[in-house]
Amino acid sequence: MKKPAKTATKTARKPAAKPAKKPAARAAAKAPAKAAAALPAKSRAIRVYKLGGPEVLKWEEVAVPAPGAGEVLLRHTAIGLNLADTYRRRGIYPINLPDGMGNEAVGVIEAVGKGVTGFRKGDRVGYVGGMPNNAYSEYRVARAAPLIKLPRSISDEQAAAVLLKGITAQYLIKTTYPVKKGDTILVHAAAGGVGLILCQWAKALGATVIGIVSSAEKAKIAKRNGCKFPIVTKQANFADQVRKLTKGAGVEAVYDSVGKDTWDESMKCLKRRGTMVSFGSASGTLPLIDVSATGSMGSPYMVRASLVNHTVTPEETNARARDLFRAIARGDVKVRVNQKYKLKDAAKAQADMEARKTTGSTVLVP
Amino acid sequence: MQAHAIRIHKTGKADVLKWQVVEVPDPGKGEVLVRHTAVALNFADIQRRRGITPMPIPGGMGLDAAGVIEKVGPGVKGFRAGDRVAYVGLGMPFDAYSEARVAPAAKLTKLPKALTDRQAASCMLKGVTAQYLIRDTCKVKKGDTILVTAAAGGVGSILCQWAKSIGATVIGVVGSQAKVKAAKAAGCKHVVVPRAGKFADAVRKLTRGAGVDCAYDSVGASTWDEVMRSVRRRGTAVNFGGASGDVRSLDFAATGLLGSPYLVRAIMINYAVTDDEMRGRVRDLFRAIGRGDIKVRIGQTYKLKDAAKAHRDTETRRTTGSTILVP
Repeated sequence: MKKPAKTATKTARKPAAKPAKKPAARAAAKAPAKAAAALPAKSRAIRVYKLGGPEVLKWEEVAVPAPGAGEVLLRHTAIGLNLADTYRRRGIYPINLPDGMGNEAVGVIEAVGKGVTGFRKGDRVGYVGGMPNNAYSEYRVARAAPLIKLPRSISDEQAAAVLLKGITAQYLIKTTYPVKKGDTILVHAAAGGVGLILCQWAKALGATVIGIVSSAEKAKIAKRNGCKFPIVTKQANFADQVRKLTKGAGVEAVYDSVGKDTWDESMKCLKRRGTMVSFGSASGTLPLIDVSATGSMGSPYMVRASLVNHTVTPEETNARARDLFRAIARGDVKVRVNQKYKLKDAAKAQADMEARKTTGSTVLVP
Repeated sequence: MQAHAIRIHKTGKADVLKWQVVEVPDPGKGEVLVRHTAVALNFADIQRRRGITPMPIPGGMGLDAAGVIEKVGPGVKGFRAGDRVAYVGLGMPFDAYSEARVAPAAKLTKLPKALTDRQAASCMLKGVTAQYLIRDTCKVKKGDTILVTAAAGGVGSILCQWAKSIGATVIGVVGSQAKVKAAKAAGCKHVVVPRAGKFADAVRKLTRGAGVDCAYDSVGASTWDEVMRSVRRRGTAVNFGGASGDVRSLDFAATGLLGSPYLVRAIMINYAVTDDEMRGRVRDLFRAIGRGDIKVRIGQTYKLKDAAKAHRDTETRRTTGSTILVP
């Protein structure tokens, strides 16, 4: 797959963008060997032709187009594996087939298209959504606008492990319900990807975190990450314990990514006029909600938060990412890459995730 | 002492309201005897009378009223005979439809001189509702754009006036062309009359696609979907009543695609947990009236003993604005 830049422009789906050649040429003058590797004609990627189990993920050779106006060519160095990917693969979240997979990755800009400002070849960048599902690939063309510049303080693999989960946690505790010192919050799946970050960050903000976990082992993990009171339960019967832990008062906010199984109990955990944040439905789609009845439950604010409504502009996305990087740099949020798979083994990685064999963050490496 | 009061021995039509002589006890510890001078008629009274909202039977009627203190019980501080007072009867027996009653002093607020008894009675419950909606449920700020359904209605028209005085732009939704003028007079910059129940597109157009920061809805079942579609990304949609029926089955998961609005079913009890909290709200309301931010218009006055007729006229939509019952 290592071919000269010239060939790359020939196989492009769009007409060759002239500026794309320039950085390559400049690089060639400095380091000819590297330049030859910079713009491949072909790359490999995971493709999906039908919905189903992990076996529908196909590792294939695909053409790499040259970046068009406003685009860059990225060489991925680390890719985030997310449960949402498996939802798309199964068709729980809609996708248009055939499709690629994944919307969180980190890489290096290899070529820059026309009209791109603020980025240049060699920049380390990451992204969370804002473009077609194609993170599970060696190379991709990406719109420059949603890209996030990475600081030196964070490695590629760390960034891929934390960007989506970290930005999700950031908007949840800084915007959806701004957690303050002295608050008590309830976090579901407290040992999960977003859950662990929520626990750490909320604690750093001075809040007391009560967490729901499914095993004693996960309770230990949650506790190590700032969750003061982990509650181990597989049944939805935690409201009484939460009430007891808060001396009857209830919590300021509930962060619930479990959904269907936990909603009713979660609502019972809230303080009067508290905030019920739903940001996922791992246990299935939420049932219809009797809004009128929530008046007698203390008039809580109920919000179905989603990333797209919190990363509307590149500025907003980058501001959230910078806030996350600062929290990581301060040590408020620790990033762990819990398991690594080769990108071509994505099917195994997803199978392991679905079988709950993985914990924390998983990264795919090309 | 004895006094007349409206009593109800079974739920039903307006004629179940009976004008009777009742015994009013002496005020106990912390209580005062209030002689009512003006009593509010609220649609909630009618819902209770009909049996739609539960109430104790036999019982009295009415939540909020204004009056004069006749007698002060032991241990009452800050009040004396002759004081003009008003109350929202949250946590008290329904007994405002009476010539006199005993009430805990903690529930009362003294009336400022500038406010007449009738004015106060006409806006206690409605005004305090508007107060918590605008100050707490969604904190309306200068420059905000808000939506109010039933904008010409009791609470609606107070919300519109108050929000406008804060510096918000108010878009009102009214049920018919006939109410457009009243909504405009209440401070709505734009008034939308729904077409086939739809108004979200019109609201979007008025806000250049953005949607409103906050929407207040008391209509419920028939308007809620459009209300949620009218709210900006991460805005707030507040329901505080169900004139057309309750909002019973919301596809909450789908609201993520509508811009992740905050949804609230606000009820007063969650905003006036203590008597002090309630009194703070009443005072804020009186200040707003004193500044002229809110003008209360009394649409019609009935004798208290004619409460049944007042109910009937309200039910047949022969009343406009606030209705007052006078003993």
